Amino acid sequence: MAGVAVDTGSGERLLLEHVGCPICGRTDGEPIGVGEDFEYRTAPDTFLAMRCRDCTVLYLDPRPAPDEMGRIYPDEYHAFDFTESEFGVIHKVRSRLEARRLLKCIGDVPPDARVIDVGCGDGFHLDLLRRYGRSTWSLEGVDLDPRAAAAARRRGLTVHEGTVEALGLPEAAYDVAFMIQTIEHVADPATVLRAVSRLLKPGGRLIVVTDNTGSPDFRVFRRRHWGGYHFPRHFSLFNDRSIRKLAGRTGLEVVGVETIVSPVNWVYSIRNLLDDYGAPEGLVSHFTLSSPAALSVFTVFDTAFTMAGKGALIRAELRRPA
Amino acid sequence: MSTNDDLPVAVLGAGIAGLVAALELQRNGYPVRVFEAAPVIAGLGGTHHDDDGFTYDMGAHFITNRLAAAIGVSGECRLVHRYGETVHLDGRYVDYPNGLLKQPRFVASALKARVSTPEGDPTTAAGRFRRDYGTALADTVALPLVEAWSGAPADELAASVADKIPTSIAHTMLLNALARATNRAISVGYCWAQPMTASVFHVYPEHGVATLCERIAEQLPGVIQVSSPVQAVIVHDGQVQAVRVHDEEIPVRAVVSTAPINVLPRLVEGSDRLDRYRRFRYRPMVLVNLKLRGRNLLSDVVVWLPTGFPFFRLTEATQSMPWLAPEDKTMVLCDIGAEVGDEHWTMDDDALGEYCVDHLEGIIPGVRERYLGCRVVRTPIAYPVYLAEYEEDRLALKESTGIDGLLSVGRHGEFSHNLMEDVYWTTIDRVHRWIADQKAGELLAIEAEERAAAVGDDEANPVVASGTRDMPRA
Ligand SMILES: Cc1cc2nc3c(=O)[nH]c(=O)nc-3n(C[C@H](O)[C@H](O)[C@H](O)COP(=O)(O)OP(=O)(O)OC[C@H]3O[C@@H](n4cnc5c(N)ncnc54)[C@H](O)[C@@H]3O)c2cc1C
Ligand SMILES: [Zn+2]
Repeated sequence: MAGVAVDTGSGERLLLEHVGCPICGRTDGEPIGVGEDFEYRTAPDTFLAMRCRDCTVLYLDPRPAPDEMGRIYPDEYHAFDFTESEFGVIHKVRSRLEARRLLKCIGDVPPDARVIDVGCGDGFHLDLLRRYGRSTWSLEGVDLDPRAAAAARRRGLTVHEGTVEALGLPEAAYDVAFMIQTIEHVADPATVLRAVSRLLKPGGRLIVVTDNTGSPDFRVFRRRHWGGYHFPRHFSLFNDRSIRKLAGRTGLEVVGVETIVSPVNWVYSIRNLLDDYGAPEGLVSHFTLSSPAALSVFTVFDTAFTMAGKGALIRAELRRPA
Repeated sequence: MSTNDDLPVAVLGAGIAGLVAALELQRNGYPVRVFEAAPVIAGLGGTHHDDDGFTYDMGAHFITNRLAAAIGVSGECRLVHRYGETVHLDGRYVDYPNGLLKQPRFVASALKARVSTPEGDPTTAAGRFRRDYGTALADTVALPLVEAWSGAPADELAASVADKIPTSIAHTMLLNALARATNRAISVGYCWAQPMTASVFHVYPEHGVATLCERIAEQLPGVIQVSSPVQAVIVHDGQVQAVRVHDEEIPVRAVVSTAPINVLPRLVEGSDRLDRYRRFRYRPMVLVNLKLRGRNLLSDVVVWLPTGFPFFRLTEATQSMPWLAPEDKTMVLCDIGAEVGDEHWTMDDDALGEYCVDHLEGIIPGVRERYLGCRVVRTPIAYPVYLAEYEEDRLALKESTGIDGLLSVGRHGEFSHNLMEDVYWTTIDRVHRWIADQKAGELLAIEAEERAAAVGDDEANPVVASGTRDMPRA
């Protein structure tokens, strides 16, 4: 089955659009990665990850046109249904770990704090805050995909369906906002950050978590198989320098940027490589979110890199100026 | 002095270079107009379909997945599983590079060349190849090929000829091994502007290479005018002012030319700065595509013929792109280096077909019984001839033409043996250097305006009259 990739992408080619750097607009990026939708095979197209020569941000160019979102986010997309029954033990471990991280990020807030999760998906993080945080907090989510919003509502969460720019949410009202693995998906990250910034109270904080292109997993797999590319769904990808630059452009102050542990991009990079070169399904399936062995091994692995400041995810704490 | 900020940039030629330049300018907010002399777009990157179900590019064209993705045509491309080159030497096929390295005479002289350290870098192709490959391999294989291909003696050619030939044998062998393991044609030597890696392999559009230019052109609605040769580029005080098309003068902000660099000086009126490029020569080529019964008639996709044949290269593109010919048929392209008006150039098409078939008998047994006809293309400007004597002027061209607002890009405009992906990236790069200059100029103008305003009206600088134009979105 070697070489099936380009031959058998499913269906019609995607409608694509050209874009420039999401931070400065330059259009003469440097091509870094060339790959396909290894995970879902939603389209026959090949995609190009370009790097801005100034900002070092990576961006997909060309990328699927807005009309194609329904296609590149198929119904079985994992963010839509990350339920306990499906992922068992992994889910439990991940939940504990995540809850600790989230609470640390929230830090000292008033008892009646308002928290919003932009790009909340099925409400995984909000649910953790509800379970492990203070019961007096008020928690809300935003997601533009009706399937995600519906999944979160089924959990009894408050979710605004639409884009944060267009929803008309109350301004200067929130103490903390989260964007967890969201910024890489949005069409115009600067506009979204400005919109979130307006929702925050002066001095309110925004925590952005996203894949780190300053990591060793990126270095090793950047030419094609890097899990963080998630072709063609990750439109912009950041490192320490570019996330700071983006924040600067949108009037947010940078409180701090650090990297955090995640095995996911290691595991998916290997999965993509195996899949691309036609490895048997039985082998490929050992490298996904539902494989405890691979996840644990690479968690240990990535912990070492994180201690050296090169973890697989980057977390930026930003603040609306007081 | 009036401002020319709102004038269009004129692009001369709708091959891949001109189209990419136009799209890049348009993306950055500059109005553009593309003038193409021919009745169709795509230039050397065009495709022809005949009534018998054969598809021909100009010569044979191989492109990469990275280029297809950049242009947005990857969804219409098929994967190429096979690509390989061999040398036909003394009546036998020899693999490149492994096979050649097995021949003791080549190994000995290559090793000798490695250990002896000549003083300084060789300046001619002959010196460079002898140093890199050893005398035996250079004299038997590389130099005869380079001479057939360029039509000039190797000791008159610049050493830079070898820049476009993969010299790292280890890297080539690694990529070739990976290609076999992954069953895809990893691209070796088809792009130099970006890294050569295992993730860059050959793909090919369903309907021929013209799809690339067509896709770019779709994004330039109302911009391209075919059958509209640019007759003159009008320069005043070292600055481009206008172009003449259909005898009409059109004021322009700048000109991006993709015309051959020896033609451009003849178009420029009002400056002689480009006159030194009049002497530059291109190697003409007669391309004879034989239609044959059968498949896989050559040992590999490309076969190099250093000596003993009128053609220096054979290409059987259907080994890579099986869909270019009907199922049980194939094409073998014979590349004949020529001079305009010589014996091969003037031979009529049918005679050329017969002539090639005659010479192929030793390589493809029974070729005459397989022969179904041919298609011949003669191009007076197939390859830039890198004479050592041109080198200084050729390199200067990469920086600028010496005329403000006149850019010369593309394979012929840069006088560089660039394939399509190289043309793509180097053109974008060149256009952006120009854009950066414009922005720097605008900043200076704004600063000057502010200074002038601070000083007072009577000293206001007239040059900055209108320093504002819409810049691309930040
Ligand atoms: C035999 C051969 C085989 C090749 N094989 C490959 C391959 O396998 N892979 C690959 O990637 N590349 C290959 N190439 C190279 C590739 O074809 C070229 O690099 C590319 O097409 C050049 O594009 P361009 O726009 O620079 O020039 P062109 O395509 O030549 O475009 C220039 C255009 O300018 C127009 N023009 C000229 N003068 C004027 C004027 N005064 N006014 C208006 N218009 C004008 C011409 O009509 C033409 O359309 C090959 C080239 C040849 C010759
Ligand atoms: Zn940028």
